[in-house]
Amino acid sequence: MAGPSSAPTGRPEPARPAGLSPPLRRAARRFAEVVCPPEVRAGQRTDRVLGELGLMLAALPPAARKGLAAALIGLDQGARLYPPSRGRRLARLDDRVAAAYLRAVLTRPGVAGELARRLKGVVTMCYYDLAEVQREIGYDPAPYIAAVSRRRLESYGAEIRTHEAQQ
Amino acid sequence: MSVPRGLTSQADITGELTLDCGAVIIGSGAGGATMAAELAAAGVDVVVLEEGGYHPTESFTAETGRALRTLYRDGGGGMTFGRPSVLYAEGRCVGGSTVVNGGMSWRTPSRVLDRWAGQEGIEAIRESDLDPYFARAESRLSVGRQDPETVGRDSALFKAGADAKGWNIVPNRRNQLHCAGTNSCNSGCPTGAKQSMLVTSVPRALAQGARVFADCRVERVDRSGPAVSGVTGHVVRPGGRRGPKISVRARTVIVAGGAIQTPALLMRSGLRSASGQLGRNLSLHPNAVVTALFDTDVTGWHGVHQAFQVREFAADGIVLTAVNLTPTMLAGILPAWGAELGALMADYNRIVTAGPLITDTGTGRIRNVPGLGPQVSYQLTDSDAARAVRGVELTAEALFAAGARRVLLPFDGAPEITSPGELRRLLARPVPRRALQLYSVHLMGTARMSADPRRGVTGSFGEFHGVPGLYVADASLFPGPVGINPMETVVALAMRNAQHLIENLGRGGR
Repeated sequence: MAGPSSAPTGRPEPARPAGLSPPLRRAARRFAEVVCPPEVRAGQRTDRVLGELGLMLAALPPAARKGLAAALIGLDQGARLYPPSRGRRLARLDDRVAAAYLRAVLTRPGVAGELARRLKGVVTMCYYDLAEVQREIGYDPAPYIAAVSRRRLESYGAEIRTHEAQQ
Repeated sequence: MSVPRGLTSQADITGELTLDCGAVIIGSGAGGATMAAELAAAGVDVVVLEEGGYHPTESFTAETGRALRTLYRDGGGGMTFGRPSVLYAEGRCVGGSTVVNGGMSWRTPSRVLDRWAGQEGIEAIRESDLDPYFARAESRLSVGRQDPETVGRDSALFKAGADAKGWNIVPNRRNQLHCAGTNSCNSGCPTGAKQSMLVTSVPRALAQGARVFADCRVERVDRSGPAVSGVTGHVVRPGGRRGPKISVRARTVIVAGGAIQTPALLMRSGLRSASGQLGRNLSLHPNAVVTALFDTDVTGWHGVHQAFQVREFAADGIVLTAVNLTPTMLAGILPAWGAELGALMADYNRIVTAGPLITDTGTGRIRNVPGLGPQVSYQLTDSDAARAVRGVELTAEALFAAGARRVLLPFDGAPEITSPGELRRLLARPVPRRALQLYSVHLMGTARMSADPRRGVTGSFGEFHGVPGLYVADASLFPGPVGINPMETVVALAMRNAQHLIENLGRGGR
């Protein structure tokens, strides 16, 4: 065993998103296009949402990961049973029918509705985790954090250093 | 950025590792790190094994998704089985949940301590017994009120609402050293102002000679006869891959993995409690989020995470507070999608999020399921559901009193409301229990203390009944919900139990 490392040792994230399988990716893309705001289709944001989703699903516990993946596939295929879809799956529905179908599912009581709502929550989290989307709604924490951190050190630096030395 | 001397992580471990020490501690959160610092200061040779990685203060940003994936177990996506299911989060990194909690630090209410002493016969646990430990904990963690310039407008509005209602609202006591008010508590404090274990007891333990191993998962507690003999586990490689085996031989094993992982580890090690309570008795302080939109800018992320608590209803098991959520977290819970979600989120800087924390009477249970790991079942009782609904109602009333124009309630299918009158009319009809949207970050009680081995898993000082050398040092010990943010209780109990253990070791015990 080597000695203590000389660099931060946080577990690095995988270089690539843990892969969404092609069927899962197709279903997730269409789902994201409907549940995220319309701007998700701009500038390849959907691809970045899917990248975030891959990372997020990979981090979830196995039961939740499998449950949400199954729910996504189920949502895609379940659209075939929705009469206005004329037997097509979600990925092949036009915007109007896809939105109507998901509205019906997301407002449904019971396990299917709850799974769909959880999935909606995860996907919209991924969208609003994009820095450019955050800036568009007025959330840009880095400059603020830098400013208040400076203020903290200017105001209380001596006391902070004394306390830290005692730790 | 540098790594403290004595801290080792997965990249440094290239082959099987076998260690000997006086005490091995599993987990580096409030209980484990405190135990490590206390025992190391007393000259005990301590090894700490932490499943999560080492992430120094300099690495923390306000990126929620990244934080969820790196600092939390399972991406913060734990979920109980039950109706409703409760989403819960556990920290998993050096420093444990103290790295990602809100930094509230309150002493255990004396009525709770009296109940624990009375019902479970626990020795030396009344307020007068614990006062010295609370004082030490508060000194080490720099517990106090926020500097006034860091109180954000969301907290100020919520206080204004509570004041208008005539309610008792108090400034939060927080473990912080001149907190800058970055509102990044849940992503790791980027200034180091929050006095988590990462910047307090972990470095203190290292300075006293303890060895801390990050990225090391313990699979089982080993025994030799009735007593413990150490632990076995493995290194966790990037992406969760399994690395080399780790064995630590020690006559004292202290498990501090939190109220879900601690019983799960003990159960998969084949340990049983004569009480039948191991993994049972889970309390989780359910909380809910009420979203209010104001006409004017709030910019709730400018300011401290939680500045105040409404204590008016504490005797009824309800505490209220305003908690700003990042866009990532807020979008995940809002009951809207598509263009409607976009319209709501466009008003992000005019939103205040607040909610109740409930002292629950129901309990849950942890079970190990092959292939899936620990699974949590929890059934909300009718009285707890009623308390949650009442807490939501009170929160919404305070937000309207503060000037909110629109309020979204955490009930599936509930319409947006625009006045206290609408709120009353809506809540005149019962809210189905299954419709409640609940969360938890306070998990407690699954290895509860009791002087009576037929009632409790652990004794008065955290010792596992019937297994010499085995101790528990986290919120699993609580005989019931503490009714307030639990971190300081965990730290004070760890200090107290460490002292007892040191005295015991000095007498030749284990």
